[in-house]
Amino acid sequence: MPKMNSAVDIPLKEPSVSVAAGDTEQIERALIDASTRVPVLMFYASAIVWLLIGTVLAGFVSFKMHSPDWLSNVGFLTWGRLRPVHMNVMVYGWASMVGMGTAIWLMARLCRTTLRHPLLLVAGAWFWNIGVLLGVGGILAGDSTGYQWLEFPPYAAIVLFVAYALIISWAVLMFRFRRGDQIYITQWYLLGAFLWFPWLYAAAQFMLFVVPVQGVLQAAIGWWYANNLLFLWLGAIALGTAYYMIPKVIGRPVYSYHLATIGFWTYALFSSWTGMQHLVDGPFPAWMVTASIAATILTIIPVATVGLNHHMTMQGYFPVMRYSPTLRFTVFGAMSYTAFSIVGILISLRSVARYVHFTEASIAYSHLGLYAFFTMVMFGSMYYIVPRLVGREWRYATLIKLHFWASAYGIGLMTLMLLVGGYVQGVSANDPSLPYIESTQSVLPYLRGRTLAALLLTASHFIFAFHFGLMLFGLGRTSSVPTFLNPVEAEGSEAHL
Amino acid sequence: MKGLLPLFIGLFGTFAFSWFGLTFIPNLQIGNLDPQSDEEGTDVYPLPKSGMVERGRRIYAANGCIYCHSQQVRPDYAAYDIDRKWGERRSAPRDYIFDRPVQLGKERMGPDLANVGKRAPAEEQKAPATAGASVLPPAGATAPPAGAGSPPPAASPATATPAIATANASPAASPPPSPTGESAPYSAAWHHRHLYSPRSINDDSNMPAYRFLYEKRLIGDERSADALQLTGSDAPPAGSEIVPTYDAKCLVAYLMSLDQSHPLKEVKSAGPATLPAASPAASPGAGKGAK
Repeated sequence: MPKMNSAVDIPLKEPSVSVAAGDTEQIERALIDASTRVPVLMFYASAIVWLLIGTVLAGFVSFKMHSPDWLSNVGFLTWGRLRPVHMNVMVYGWASMVGMGTAIWLMARLCRTTLRHPLLLVAGAWFWNIGVLLGVGGILAGDSTGYQWLEFPPYAAIVLFVAYALIISWAVLMFRFRRGDQIYITQWYLLGAFLWFPWLYAAAQFMLFVVPVQGVLQAAIGWWYANNLLFLWLGAIALGTAYYMIPKVIGRPVYSYHLATIGFWTYALFSSWTGMQHLVDGPFPAWMVTASIAATILTIIPVATVGLNHHMTMQGYFPVMRYSPTLRFTVFGAMSYTAFSIVGILISLRSVARYVHFTEASIAYSHLGLYAFFTMVMFGSMYYIVPRLVGREWRYATLIKLHFWASAYGIGLMTLMLLVGGYVQGVSANDPSLPYIESTQSVLPYLRGRTLAALLLTASHFIFAFHFGLMLFGLGRTSSVPTFLNPVEAEGSEAHL
Repeated sequence: MKGLLPLFIGLFGTFAFSWFGLTFIPNLQIGNLDPQSDEEGTDVYPLPKSGMVERGRRIYAANGCIYCHSQQVRPDYAAYDIDRKWGERRSAPRDYIFDRPVQLGKERMGPDLANVGKRAPAEEQKAPATAGASVLPPAGATAPPAGAGSPPPAASPATATPAIATANASPAASPPPSPTGESAPYSAAWHHRHLYSPRSINDDSNMPAYRFLYEKRLIGDERSADALQLTGSDAPPAGSEIVPTYDAKCLVAYLMSLDQSHPLKEVKSAGPATLPAASPAASPGAGKGAK
């Protein structure tokens, strides 16, 4: 941590507050925030409930991995059903809902227009919740489709699609009424996400269930879908959010629009071609795998440009992370994006895949993306947005700190355990003179370590949910100034962090 | 960035490019394969599977077997799969043309199952395509001495493929012969016992038990023919027996149908004829396998 006194000089203000039109803008923002209150809080509250459910399930899944006899005598509690339920709850219940909540708020702010027809969105959120609930029930009852990331039975998928149609129609409406010509970087990402997701989801559903493709192509479609969901839906929302939050909190424009443009288009182009590297040496034409490996390596370009852009924007302002919860979470997430992509590039290389293919390392990779990157950025955005919706400040700095450190250590430990464990597992699998069970045995100690990480994350999420509940119902300590993680000297305390 | 139109065209174009390249083109290339047959139109492979097996596939999918077991054999130059005797040749797209959902898998907490039906004792094989079965001696015949006894000498880890065709038909991960020794490995009875109580077969297994696919009932006039042979703590109390449900029978039928041993024209099989060329690394003594 840098020295305290260097932070005193930093202007902890929003840039626009000081300009002449500041007052009108502030009123306008307050109106926009007020119009988004109900739907966004609805999305957030649902997402947090799913997060808690998904977290408890994660603990079950992790624990049963090394203690397989625990709660195994009932069909709906068998490991092979709980695992997809955990995954789908996290992706569709938590990640998609919190992502949509944040995206709605950001869109309203950036289009500088109040939200029209909020009931459309509230209905969309309800339908989405019902869809996830149906899907979860379907998997538990033994109705899973057997396609990874698309385990929800078709009847749940239809409800999700209806829900999404309601949500997207609203987003289009908002864009129609936007003010100003400039389309900010965040809006590129959000528009992309909002348009890519339905296309992706519909295409995958169509090719798997309506007019099914033959044989192994189903697996290719599955990976194409899963990777694009991660990059073009969730990843795009998270990057867009980071592009908003970082400049906003430190009160400084993005370092380079030019870099941002390069980063965005290379991201859209290259990351959408990844996915097939997970099929390495499988029954596929080799060019498919090679193309995806090449695309994965090329994602270094968006990673480098986006990372550089964020870094240069933050240059000299890193000490603000000491105070601002939003910035701390967002920067952690943005840095994890780099780590996630580098791990992705490494494990896609054939020479490395030889050791880590078919091991727990792929679980480490997806958690780096979904948690260390996406979820942490979303936590950051909630710390920024929720006070503006409920009109209260966060209650306790201690709870925010606990949340941050439990999450950071939890995901760090988990990634480490699964990467090292995956490598160890792969090394023993690669030696045919050892019985295969040795490979499974060799990873079990790391899976126990992962259970410990799951406990940390569980603590972190329950703390956050508790804090969110206090905010929602206006309980606990009240404060008229924003809650900083650490005390700030007098002049900084009026700023909005 | 100014103007919505370039943005929309770009968003549309990038995604269309990916869709076209990764789903449309592969579909043209391998999306319309037919089963292969010889000149007389016989010896067709693969064949669609029967009702019980198809139901078994759905049970396999519903209970998430795919999260720990793959069903694909990678080529010998790239991976250990063939060395582990999980198959004699790599899997090819044609092997899967009737599979829906296809269960390639992404993780191997347990061994690959692409050929698990092949490992069954020959008389038990019920798979529709058993034409190639005679290449192998039944696993049960040679398994007990080969299985757990002595590990292969460290000097020749590349036991390679000759072993498959000659001495050792026992898969590398074969469990030790059970103390009671009633059912041959990979027979239907063995699968049922394994699903009901994985740790009665292998102490170290972390596979969950699928007891909800079995039911306990009182023995009527005489023991059911398909009752599980259980010992120790797994055994039901006297007077009752554990029998598989219809779902369990379908699942086992599905497992026993998994067999990619039939040669494919587009894939080089590590059959006896092609052996010397296919595995240059094989040492002269490797043919003895796990002696």
